[in-house]
Amino acid sequence: MTSSSTPLFPASAVKWPALAAGALLALSGCSVANSEAAPASASALRVVLGQEPPTLEACESNLTSTGVVVRSNVTEPLVERNPQTGELEPLLATEWKATSDTVWTFKLREGVKFQDGTPFNAEAAAFTINRAVNSKLGCNVEGYVFGDADLKVKAVDDTTLTVTTPEPDPILPLRLSFLEVVPTSTSTTAKVREPVGTGPYKIETWDAGQKITLTSWDGYWGDKPAYAKAEYQWRSESSVRAAMITSGEADVAMGLSPDDNMGELGVDYPNNETVALRMEATKAPLNDIRVRQAVNYAIDKEGIVNSLYQGKHKVAAQLVPEGIVGHNADLKGWAFDLDKAKSLVAEAKADGVDTSAQISLVVRSAQFPKITELAQVLQEQLSQAGLNVKLKMLETSQHLTYQVRPFPDDEGAVALMTQHGNQAGDAAFTVDQYMLSTGAQSYFGTPEFDAMIKKADAASGDDRKKGFEDIFAYQNDKVVQFAHISHQTGIIGKSKSVNYTPNSSSGDELRVSEMTPAS
Amino acid sequence: MLIYLRKRIISSALPLAVVIVGVFALARMTGNPASLYLPLNATQQMRDDFTARNGLDQPLLVQMADYFGGVLKLDFGQSLRTGQDAAAMALRAFPATLQLAATTMVLAVVLALLVGCWAALKPNGVADRISSFISMAAASIPDFWLAIVGIWVFAITLGWLPTSGVSGAGAWVLPIATLLLRPFGVLVQIVRGSMVSALSEPYIKLARSRGAGELRVVTHHALRNAAAPALTVAGDLTVGLVNGAVVVETIFGWPGIGKLMIDSILQRDFAVLQAAVLLTAVAIFALNILIDMGYALLDARVRPVTAKA
Repeated sequence: MTSSSTPLFPASAVKWPALAAGALLALSGCSVANSEAAPASASALRVVLGQEPPTLEACESNLTSTGVVVRSNVTEPLVERNPQTGELEPLLATEWKATSDTVWTFKLREGVKFQDGTPFNAEAAAFTINRAVNSKLGCNVEGYVFGDADLKVKAVDDTTLTVTTPEPDPILPLRLSFLEVVPTSTSTTAKVREPVGTGPYKIETWDAGQKITLTSWDGYWGDKPAYAKAEYQWRSESSVRAAMITSGEADVAMGLSPDDNMGELGVDYPNNETVALRMEATKAPLNDIRVRQAVNYAIDKEGIVNSLYQGKHKVAAQLVPEGIVGHNADLKGWAFDLDKAKSLVAEAKADGVDTSAQISLVVRSAQFPKITELAQVLQEQLSQAGLNVKLKMLETSQHLTYQVRPFPDDEGAVALMTQHGNQAGDAAFTVDQYMLSTGAQSYFGTPEFDAMIKKADAASGDDRKKGFEDIFAYQNDKVVQFAHISHQTGIIGKSKSVNYTPNSSSGDELRVSEMTPAS
Repeated sequence: MLIYLRKRIISSALPLAVVIVGVFALARMTGNPASLYLPLNATQQMRDDFTARNGLDQPLLVQMADYFGGVLKLDFGQSLRTGQDAAAMALRAFPATLQLAATTMVLAVVLALLVGCWAALKPNGVADRISSFISMAAASIPDFWLAIVGIWVFAITLGWLPTSGVSGAGAWVLPIATLLLRPFGVLVQIVRGSMVSALSEPYIKLARSRGAGELRVVTHHALRNAAAPALTVAGDLTVGLVNGAVVVETIFGWPGIGKLMIDSILQRDFAVLQAAVLLTAVAIFALNILIDMGYALLDARVRPVTAKA
């Protein structure tokens, strides 16, 4: 009865009664609203996130939604990676070196205390590693950076820690930069929702569903941060997060979309995420390298970046962006050449490849801004090259069944859209997963390619860098499992009252101590 | 009345059990949550550990028996996502939804009665036309759109209200205004329709001929008889709101049960989903009993029938 009448009313006509009704109700609440929208002072920094952290457990802080609050605010690691230079810098450890092939020795900072008053020492560092890596807790960081490998740790004296790895591990200090140090009083049998750390802020309150408040801790070993408090709220709609910046309700808003049109209140930063299609090369028609090359030629990356992402993303030629150890700066991406794509498909067809076999383009709904539009563009462009593409938009859990092994085997070839973030800064975290023939997120590889990867993984210094650069070139040349699309750019909303320059790690670890009030 | 209540409670137990079993089985058919909770490069050993740690390696019937055993002891399990007690999470979210739903429905009913009666006094008069335009528009506007426009107008442009959140009275205005519009629009039309037919009944003429004032005629004689259809529809609309106003909760960051249920489904957080569904199901059964009792209060003819049911 009512819905059938909708088309009779143009949107402009419908608006007025709505606004009138709202205005009526608005009168009662305006005074409260004004007092809440007070501008930021140095007392509290107000941050709005995309979701409530599921937990603040330190050993799960590699999860973006947890780490953005905890890392380097509440807890600190032994060493940290400088996102600008890629170099490791001292934090709770002042120096470290490999004392043999499999042993790393760390010298720890003196005079550091945990927020519960207990001293930080080698015993606490060893406890942290044992708790996160060698226990049955099932910490997310364990799988993320250490795999099944157990580490042998030893507190030699109060300020000396040795870590022994089963195999030589040239990037152990980098791995340890993901481990946030907790005191020995932390539970070893259960995860802890509100951890104690050595950081500049401690957790004051967590009003579940509504707000987390951190407060500056007087016993911090380093400089006192400018903001006395940090208040975190969360809204799942990016347009609402953006509105909170515009209306003065928040000082920093994470994860905005180009559509939010923030103007000068939006700050771009490279977020180290890369978008690519991963092609299942074991099934027709993607089992022919010419078809996989054709997919690469058929995608108009420049057009996508410019029209969908306002030119803010960068066309990608590999799975890692500039700034990651192993990024190959000389690698040229695939040109957009539809004729070439068509002729490659025709060649494959002439050789007996069933190029009409269906390819499922598997895409995760709402994984990043404009993903639906991007998927539709890709479907159209691949169809123009003569391929039979069916678009499958899935929610996260279903998408994951396609993303990690074991892959579903009951349908034709899959081209999976993947958004890969390398937050560690080393290409090993990319190629081991995506390119080894047994990698958790890899469809296939070759013995020669596997050998190259293993060699690079074990190398250090320039050999390591060169090794990975060669791997990215080899994938584009001989393997072609991927059709790279773009390196993404993140947007943070920032009120004029805050001085802060986001960097590639801001999405995972938002350091409140790096922010100052604008005078 | 007590016999009636007892019968209703007993007859509600079976549907409740069906709901619990259904949600339990259907949720598990959506797959193992391991890959959602472990890093992408987790080894098979880690996946197996996760599955075993959370009892998901047991046969479905064993899992279900464990679950029911827990429910009887009021233990609803732990959230996979937050590690918290699932029942506590559901119980924390539910009042936020209830407050929102109750305020919205009270306002909607009061406003709809006023506007609906006003419109029914002179069918096809000016008041009737204005109210039918307003009510149709109100019932047709998509809430998502209205919420965003509301934020844009009242929070950004005018700066009168906060964009979202739950702190302060101002934060209630936009969520309630957004939620209110559809029930209001629907109810105005129902009230108007049944009031128009009630006002043309012979007993109204009789009441008027006896010299009853217009206010008394409308409220005491006509409205009492016209209220039953409105109560039915208002009941349905309330049930919809108690189930969670997902769009409003999502946009305004309102920590209610609808958002909690959607998040638990997407995150395969089975224990929380089950606790939330059970809680809302119980609430909706209770609500239905209240609505039935409301009929009995309104209309004496219904009483003996419900009492026997």
